[in-house]
Amino acid sequence: MISEEIFSAIPMRTWRWLNVNEVKVPENLSAEVRTEKILVESGENKRIVLDRREGGALEVQAHIADGGELTLIYAQLVDEKEAATSRIKVYVGKGAKFSYTTVEAGAKATAAELTVDMAGPDSVADVWGLYFGDGERKIDLNYIIRQGGKRTDANMQVRGALLGGAAKTFRGTLDFLEGSKGSVGREDEEVMVLSDHVQNRSVPIMLSHEDDVDGHHAVSIGKMDEDKLFYLMSRGLDLAEAQKLVVEANFQPVLDRIDDDGLKAEIDAYLQRRLSHG
Amino acid sequence: MAEKKKTYVEDIERTLYDIKNEDHSVYKSHSGLTPEIVRDISRRKNDPEWMTEFRLKSLEVYNSLALPTWGPSLEDLNMDDIVTYVQPDAKMTGKWEEVPEEIKDTFDRLGIPEAEKTSLGGVGAQYDSEVVYHSIQEDMVKQGVIYTDMETALREHGDMVKEYFMTLVPPKDHKFAALHGAVWSGGSFVYVPEGVHVEMPLQSYFRLNAAGAGQFEHTLIIVEKNASLHFIEGCSAPKYNVTNLHAGCVELFVKEGARLRYSTIENWSRNMMNLNTKRALVEKDGLIEWVSGSFGSHISCLYPCSVLHGENARCEFTGVTFASKGQNLDTGASVIHAAPHTSANINTRTISKAGGKATYRSAVKVTKNAPYAKCSVNCESLMLDNLSRSDTLPVMDIEGDEADIGHEAKIGRISDEAIFYLTSRGIDEEEARAMIVRGFVEPIAKELPLEYALEMNNLVNIELEGTMG
Repeated sequence: MISEEIFSAIPMRTWRWLNVNEVKVPENLSAEVRTEKILVESGENKRIVLDRREGGALEVQAHIADGGELTLIYAQLVDEKEAATSRIKVYVGKGAKFSYTTVEAGAKATAAELTVDMAGPDSVADVWGLYFGDGERKIDLNYIIRQGGKRTDANMQVRGALLGGAAKTFRGTLDFLEGSKGSVGREDEEVMVLSDHVQNRSVPIMLSHEDDVDGHHAVSIGKMDEDKLFYLMSRGLDLAEAQKLVVEANFQPVLDRIDDDGLKAEIDAYLQRRLSHG
Repeated sequence: MAEKKKTYVEDIERTLYDIKNEDHSVYKSHSGLTPEIVRDISRRKNDPEWMTEFRLKSLEVYNSLALPTWGPSLEDLNMDDIVTYVQPDAKMTGKWEEVPEEIKDTFDRLGIPEAEKTSLGGVGAQYDSEVVYHSIQEDMVKQGVIYTDMETALREHGDMVKEYFMTLVPPKDHKFAALHGAVWSGGSFVYVPEGVHVEMPLQSYFRLNAAGAGQFEHTLIIVEKNASLHFIEGCSAPKYNVTNLHAGCVELFVKEGARLRYSTIENWSRNMMNLNTKRALVEKDGLIEWVSGSFGSHISCLYPCSVLHGENARCEFTGVTFASKGQNLDTGASVIHAAPHTSANINTRTISKAGGKATYRSAVKVTKNAPYAKCSVNCESLMLDNLSRSDTLPVMDIEGDEADIGHEAKIGRISDEAIFYLTSRGIDEEEARAMIVRGFVEPIAKELPLEYALEMNNLVNIELEGTMG
């Protein structure tokens, strides 16, 4: 009566079939793991840029001591024939701040995991991510923020655009642990879908073991606002140019956080080039 | 600083549901699950041959499938201890006075016959594994509406049952669907012919009295083209110290331009594992409306699913879950957009208290065949203490570029600003808090039939003590 394709999407199976609990390691990934350790001392303010052009596996462990501040910028522009994974683990101490900006735009297959452990009271995590998928790219992202300390403040903002036959899974978890009284957490994902061959999976998870918290998450998935496109086209832009402009505008809040002008210009040009080919 | 006192929100008053009757069943299957037990159930129920075969095949599927690897732990469930078929000492009847006294008293206490007199078009009552009473208003029968127990339907409308039975929830779907296929008993069958609008709701009530037993009722509803129906389902059981199992199955077929509202208040006792499967297939311009209240049971896994199969098919889902001490209620909804211009609106509220665990789990799937699909999900969770848990686990899987999907979730406590605002308007603090909790569940309460809305008001029976938070 109804096709097998529909049955395969029914939840009991969907949840198994989606493998929403595990990030898939891309095929042909080299076994070698590059490891980086970052230590931010108490009261220290550190800024680190990870400008990544090589595939393979990368692990970063960061420890931000009480009152420290780490600004981490991670730009993944790996060659499109390679696979790239990253696993970034961050400990945020009392009153410490972790500010993270990530651009996942390169590589044929990407798997990225970010775990932020906000163990210290009054700690802050501000995570902004951008992903871009075209061609047959596979993007698998898993961002987890654990809010353990009292009065922690977490913000996760993710913007994405998918075209061609790209497939993407984004899981974003805010986990309010017991004792995280007075904590707030926000999570937003905005996805622009620019082709009807795209597969987009969004899994915004919120876990809470504490009543005195304020958590909010939202996801919006859709094609571009036609009014915006119409407006731009009525000003003389063709459809491709108008689309490009709308995507760029959507990415801008993330790109604006990259204060390295050279890198920012390069990412801009890289995305523009890819968008033009899309 | 001294700990703030918390406003105490009472549990649902359960005395009414917890009255046990003596077990006067005339037959009980052996506990556990074997082909012999399944054949025995089938023989006692005078199943046609195809149904006996279906049951045995389902048992094979059951044995081949593993337990789900997600969701609440089901380790307390030992199928070897569960009695899958309990035949009460009563024959199915259409006359209330013929129902045995003790069973009649049970349903009287639950207000079933009273509701039938005042506001229902038909009533079905199931006691343990068999339906003991079924009635429908005469004028509905004249319009061709069929409302009967599944066993009668299998005898009198066998071809129709065979055409639809477990086609929407096939036994291979998951382990408990397979279990249901093997040992199902009782439940309701409704057929609404083309163009007929059933003005008064039909209600089936399921009561599980025997300890250590399972209830596996099957509800099959077919609403033909441009017809409409409101169906209400209520479930309860007294509390025992052993695990009871409910693995019912609901299949709803909403044809072109038809409309079906399916309301459920589930108030199983706290020793019940409620692993129920509900699914609707909605054709062109059809509408399925789910209203779902989950208050009882020890463990629940319940995610009513709407397959929007025809162009312009719609789904409205409204649900409330209240998890208290010892409860792990994993509830939610799922929607599959499988045709163009389909739309869904999911709106849920969960409350957890006293160590209860409430999980909202959902899946929204947009297939390639469903351009211009629209889905909006809104779930809000209120936690009344930090012993409890409240989790939100939605999955959105979207293919194609013409879908418009929005999801929003909030979690938290009663905000101080809201209290401040109301108290500044002259409302005292306790009343302000009560108003907020009532307001929190109000979008759901207003969708419930009146008697159930009153039942739900027990939820927000807030004792005037201290403050919340």
